[in-house]
Amino acid sequence: MVRLTIDGKEIEVAEGTNIIEAARRLGIEVPHYCYHPGLSVAGQCRLCMVELGNNPRPQIGCNTQVAEGMVVRTDTPKVLEVRQSIMEFHLINHPLDCPVCDQAGECWLQIYYMKHGLYEPRMVDEKVHKPKAVPLGPHVMLDAERCILCSRCVRFCDEVTGTGELGIFDRGDRSEIGLFPGRELANPYSANVIDICPVGALTDRDFRFAVRVWYLDTAKSICPGCSRGCNIDVHYNIRRPHHNQGRRVARLKPRFNAEVNRWWICDAGRYGYRFVDDPSRLGAPARGRGDAAQEVGWEEIIPLVTAQLRRYRPDEIGVVASPKMANEDFFLLRRLVDHLGLIHVDFRVPPRTPGDEDRILIKADKNPNTRGAELIGLGPRPGGLDARGMLRAARDRRIKCLWVFHHDLQASAWPAAEVGDALRAVECFIYQGSNSNGVSAAAHYVLPSAAWVERDGTFTNFEGRVQRFWKAVEPLGLSLADWEILGRLGAALGLGPEPASAEACFKALAASAAPFAGLSYRELRDTGKVLSA
Amino acid sequence: MNARGAVRVEFTPEQLAEVRRLQGLYPDRRAALLPVLQLAQEAFGHISLEAEEYVAGLFDLSPAHVHEVVTFYTLFFREPKGRHVISVCHNLTCHLLGAQQVLAHLKERLGVEVGGTTPDGRVTLLGVECLCACEMAPMLQVDDRYEGNLTREKVDWILEGLA
Repeated sequence: MVRLTIDGKEIEVAEGTNIIEAARRLGIEVPHYCYHPGLSVAGQCRLCMVELGNNPRPQIGCNTQVAEGMVVRTDTPKVLEVRQSIMEFHLINHPLDCPVCDQAGECWLQIYYMKHGLYEPRMVDEKVHKPKAVPLGPHVMLDAERCILCSRCVRFCDEVTGTGELGIFDRGDRSEIGLFPGRELANPYSANVIDICPVGALTDRDFRFAVRVWYLDTAKSICPGCSRGCNIDVHYNIRRPHHNQGRRVARLKPRFNAEVNRWWICDAGRYGYRFVDDPSRLGAPARGRGDAAQEVGWEEIIPLVTAQLRRYRPDEIGVVASPKMANEDFFLLRRLVDHLGLIHVDFRVPPRTPGDEDRILIKADKNPNTRGAELIGLGPRPGGLDARGMLRAARDRRIKCLWVFHHDLQASAWPAAEVGDALRAVECFIYQGSNSNGVSAAAHYVLPSAAWVERDGTFTNFEGRVQRFWKAVEPLGLSLADWEILGRLGAALGLGPEPASAEACFKALAASAAPFAGLSYRELRDTGKVLSA
Repeated sequence: MNARGAVRVEFTPEQLAEVRRLQGLYPDRRAALLPVLQLAQEAFGHISLEAEEYVAGLFDLSPAHVHEVVTFYTLFFREPKGRHVISVCHNLTCHLLGAQQVLAHLKERLGVEVGGTTPDGRVTLLGVECLCACEMAPMLQVDDRYEGNLTREKVDWILEGLA
């Protein structure tokens, strides 16, 4: 450990820490563009100048490691003057097109200019013009005039993905970020360069011009795209509902978690939220198939479904849960299954094409909560059938009532004919899920689920880390969180009162399932806890 | 873009041996990128995008990083150049002593603009900054040779000497 003084305050930090990070620990922000804790030090932007002891010249904080007894000042007139000069340099060729720039409101040129701007520009020459609105790949748009050449994006592609697509070409005031001619920026993590771009040079083609960032609100969440469980922020727009074609979820951004995803998320996860505000959402409970289908209220559907669950013998009922459901949902479903004495329970449905996996973040299992389903006991039981066995038994009319959660069985690895035969043969097909799909139309009873951003809950990732996600927006239409639907069914079946909240479900889970013992929402905090079992 | 040169972008075994020797000279073999690019320019006439990718492969670098180096340095030719390259200095001393007239005369004689190559592929004409020979201003560089104290007559005489 090393002791030093920054702006008169003493602090002890680990050897090798740089001045920006040491100052951050004291709550002192040293302005910077090119430095990023997840990337190598470039020393390119020169904005993080600080004064060191009696050293006559200010020095960059990113590339200066702390030393015992070091005296750092970040607030002297000289430092402030240097910042102003550096900002002047960065803005010499900047187009100042904030009114039409998507970055406005979350732009570090704007933010630092408010504090360190010159406000009396001296620039009289014509600015250097560069390419604008150049698509670099499926997700990233480049405006070379806004770029301050910090090289974060270049280093990201070199150091994190190892794909090296980007470079800084030409030199002097004609330098610009770009791709090797004919190539594109299409690696599975490409959109992270948008997050780390401190200015409006790299913007998100998906989000561009959708909503002004100051209308967005944020909820902490977990990406449901695979079993990694990357920590994310959901940025949603409810203040300007007429923007973005009425879509409430505007974008997903990575949220730092040192042990899960650091600063990054993959593109598949980032853009995997579209189903939330999609026309395919199921907005109301419904009964009856095809033309006979009619939307009904919850007070009508709950007794109908409970009557069906009571009508059949336990061995005539099959339950296919989904590893996209939360731990809270699994707990209530398990309770209900045990109460009815059902024996045919499973949650695994293999996808038609196996998932891709890499050594960065992406996991082959495209479900956020397979581990939770295993731990809470929703896998096949001794003497009971697995999901495919249930389909075959349905076709042979041995299973008469099938309750499927979320899965599109028609998109599974199983032959479509086999699925179709089973669903035609079964007497009672209950579908519970957020969106319509290849099998929901065949359901006699549809129970519409809230999407993950519309409710609270927890997922257990592949390594047994239980992580919370928070409600961002209200459930669409009449949809309810799976735990609420299961709570109402449970109450109707005589399992006692409905749980009041997802947190109450989790509390009951922690009290009854050994791996979760001792955990609570409070205990999980923002970044989750790994189960000891 | 590469069709014009029609030179096959591949080093001979001797040239490859030279690449390996150059790469062995430095603790980080990337440091040999500049001399290898010079070798490529000698071998292929100019550095096409194809040549950049080829050299990137020899260094296990991404082509973008080779492109960074090639676009940074003005002495790499990214388009086919003439058999001879004339670089006219137009920095301060030469400018005051008539560089613009020298350039105008060359443009007229060769029928090309600065940066252009004569249709017969004989000469590429460039304008450059100081070549460190102010004592002989106005001056130019023709291939590896300096020529100074230029007059119209001397420029004509230089052109006559180029095959």
